[in-house]
Amino acid sequence: MTRMTIPIGPQHPALKEPLSFLLTVEGERIVESVLRMGYVHRGIERICQNRNYVQNVHVVERVCGICSHIHTTTYCQGVEALLGLEVPPRALCLRTLLCELERIHSHLLWMGVLAELIGFTTIFMYAWRDREIVLDIMEELSGGRVAHAVNVIGGVRIDLDAEMSHSILVRLDELERQIETLLGVIQHERTFRARTRGVGHLSAEQVRRYCVVGPTARASGVDVDLRRDAPYAAYDQLDFRVITAEEGDVWARTMVRLLETIESLHLCRQLLAELPQGALTVRAPRRVPPGEVVSRGEAPRGELVYYIRSDGSDKPARVKIRTPTLTTLITLPDQLRDVNTADVPAVLAGVDLCIACADR
Amino acid sequence: MNVDLILEALRKTFPAETIEVRAMPVNETFVTLPPACIRPAAQVLVEQLNLRHLSAITGQDTGSEIELLYHFWDGRGLTLRASLPREEPHIATLTDLIPGAAFYEREVCEMLGVTFEGHPDPRALLLPDDWDGEAPLRQQPSPTPAAPRHPLPLPTLGEGGG
Repeated sequence: MTRMTIPIGPQHPALKEPLSFLLTVEGERIVESVLRMGYVHRGIERICQNRNYVQNVHVVERVCGICSHIHTTTYCQGVEALLGLEVPPRALCLRTLLCELERIHSHLLWMGVLAELIGFTTIFMYAWRDREIVLDIMEELSGGRVAHAVNVIGGVRIDLDAEMSHSILVRLDELERQIETLLGVIQHERTFRARTRGVGHLSAEQVRRYCVVGPTARASGVDVDLRRDAPYAAYDQLDFRVITAEEGDVWARTMVRLLETIESLHLCRQLLAELPQGALTVRAPRRVPPGEVVSRGEAPRGELVYYIRSDGSDKPARVKIRTPTLTTLITLPDQLRDVNTADVPAVLAGVDLCIACADR
Repeated sequence: MNVDLILEALRKTFPAETIEVRAMPVNETFVTLPPACIRPAAQVLVEQLNLRHLSAITGQDTGSEIELLYHFWDGRGLTLRASLPREEPHIATLTDLIPGAAFYEREVCEMLGVTFEGHPDPRALLLPDDWDGEAPLRQQPSPTPAAPRHPLPLPTLGEGGG
């Protein structure tokens, strides 16, 4: 059969951010794919070297437009470790609360994107409508829907009172009902099953070979979650399950992410119920003593790594950012091999790409 | 991850390495090795200790040398450190041991001009095709130009048999 080469991207309806593929197809079957990235590379690591530690909180917040808060959390806890700062417990809990709200919003956003790409527009509408509940809460807490600017080095700049706490709890209950409905529909919808079962398969061995992280790894039966394995912020005081699945396809990733949103709701309730009293920040010096630190956090898409080195000045000598999407992008040529062209959008959406994160 | 076990295995293979231990914010161990030992050390980690998760490779130009940091993770962090000369830095690839290292190495290659010997696909990862400046994370003055460009061939309109 004759081979044909199809370019996909950098601008394409199936991609929410710029990324490009050259797909070689035989009929409807993909035999080879070449990935090209870097269209939204902004040189953030270099920018960080030219800004001071405080300014960099705002720079790293702009690495990603979805998981902005986990970037500042991981960066701030790295700098705090270099400074030897003890962050107040109330600040750690508020940080964690935002992390979990962000996870819910990110997973619901992803659910909508996947549903839309496989033609299930109703679920897309419902998922994004329900996501607004979380976005509203985050906006009321911080003033921003996307860039929350909650973290500062040494604590957080937001606080909440009993009234706000109650109002959040009421809305979280509503959200849980909506997610249960979503889960019910997804689990019993035969079309959804047909479009996702066996699509974009990754075995546990492939996950380990490519160092894949996050829900994509957990959906292939690799039980990793930094919130449990290396608790940061307030996670050591919280009780939660790490969701895994065995199938390793888009279906399993959907189940893992939706069940994780429910776990995140429970985490938010625990945090609001046991929010300690006390200060929100400790004073942080502008200059950071020489040293280096590797800081890790569990972003909605998995392990996020910051390496920060200080030379004793008020600017970092190096900020290295490794985002979880970089580890999933590398698996795409494997996942796309022998896939039907009609399933390409489902495969691409399945791993929850965040190109801006990967390109930095 | 049992750090003692790892250090013991590494000490058995390489007698002269220096080891320093840090404990912030999660336990992280830094092990400094000569560049030629990085690949054999990774082999020990992967094949003997089943430590296969490479989180990242950080490259840094310190002004006098190029430092590479291989951040491994398995419940605890282990970072292997090697220093390369600024003039024509090169080191053996880990891609055959850890396929996930392929993108990390491509990025270090284009950002700092480090050659990874034996890398199956050393194309640039992030920089645009017409970038002909210095390796962007190099401090000035930089002795080596950016890595050679290997642009992805773009299909021409009218081809493709559609």
